[in-house]
Amino acid sequence: MIEMFSNPQFWVSVLQIIAIDLLLSGDNAVVIALACRNLPPEQRRKGVLFGVAGAISLRVILTFFAVGLLTLPYIKIIGAVLLIWIGIKLIVPQEEHGGDSVQGNTHLWAAIKTIIVADFVMSLDNVIGVAAAAKGDFGLLVFGLLISIPMIVWSSQLILKFMDRFPIIIVVGGALLGFVAGEMLMTDMLVKEWAEAQPHWLHWVVPALGAVMVVTTGKWLARRKVVSAEVVSLVDERVPGAPNNKH
Amino acid sequence: MKVLIPVDGSDSANRAVEQVIASAQWLKETPQIFLLNVQWKLASGNVKMFINQETIDDYYREQSTAALATARKKLDAKGLAYSFHVSVGIPAEAIVQYAHEQKVDQITMGAHGQGALSTFLLGSVVSKVLHLTNTPVLLVK
Repeated sequence: MIEMFSNPQFWVSVLQIIAIDLLLSGDNAVVIALACRNLPPEQRRKGVLFGVAGAISLRVILTFFAVGLLTLPYIKIIGAVLLIWIGIKLIVPQEEHGGDSVQGNTHLWAAIKTIIVADFVMSLDNVIGVAAAAKGDFGLLVFGLLISIPMIVWSSQLILKFMDRFPIIIVVGGALLGFVAGEMLMTDMLVKEWAEAQPHWLHWVVPALGAVMVVTTGKWLARRKVVSAEVVSLVDERVPGAPNNKH
Repeated sequence: MKVLIPVDGSDSANRAVEQVIASAQWLKETPQIFLLNVQWKLASGNVKMFINQETIDDYYREQSTAALATARKKLDAKGLAYSFHVSVGIPAEAIVQYAHEQKVDQITMGAHGQGALSTFLLGSVVSKVLHLTNTPVLLVK
């Protein structure tokens, strides 16, 4: 146990997990809050409560699934591909007025449906990322799960503002996801035997290639998209002065 | 004279409004007042995937109405004319962009609006505004 804490690799994993949780958890709470916005006030609390509970339980279930699944062959290859895609998705900006998003939910069940689907997608992103960084260490996987929960419960808009203020964080985050995807790929049962016969440098070249792939693909796709304005005007109104005023 | 007052609902920003009201009495001409509230873009890719833009914009509008309320009440009480505007983006950049668009003569703003943690993580809005613009800035404590 003590040995674990003096191992630098352990601390690298811990930092990677914290970073992935920060990148992939901040907006879950925002989705929950916004999906419940149009509900009548007495149902809003219920919706938020249900949404948060759903997000946490889905995350717990998916984490335990991940533990079992990742011992099977091929699964880590699929996980690595998914992770590359999650990283690219993080870097490519979504256009304003996005496609099939739902209308403002005025019914509790419609809001809950939105929240569950969103919780599932976001939890899947998060759990795959954390599982890759934990490298099969069950303790680290649970640690990643535990630190993501407060981020869902106490919606931290500060994280989102921080990412908005320093866009480089998103690029670095995408690269990190690509890197752990590469590491995950190298430990898949099918790849492992072959990888062990290869020179040692391949064990960091593949993760590095994963990082480069995410960043270049993400940047390339971002450039093809119509760039949304940095600053958007939302309201513009004039209020005339009182009639006794000259102006 | 055109004066831009960025407000975020903080006491500091509201004191900036009071300063402009006070200055209206000794200025030769009643200043043309522009209120601006900036909302951070909180909608990342995941949020937009599940929530439509209309709901997100409603949320911004609700937040900005609350942030502008005290400042508007102060100006209404004095019967001063003003216009108010809401932008979505990074505060300092949005303030400077609007100031340049409206060709304002002065920006009057609160010296410290947001909390200490936000300032530490996000940087001071005031110092970034000073860095980005040549328009005179009056800070109110």
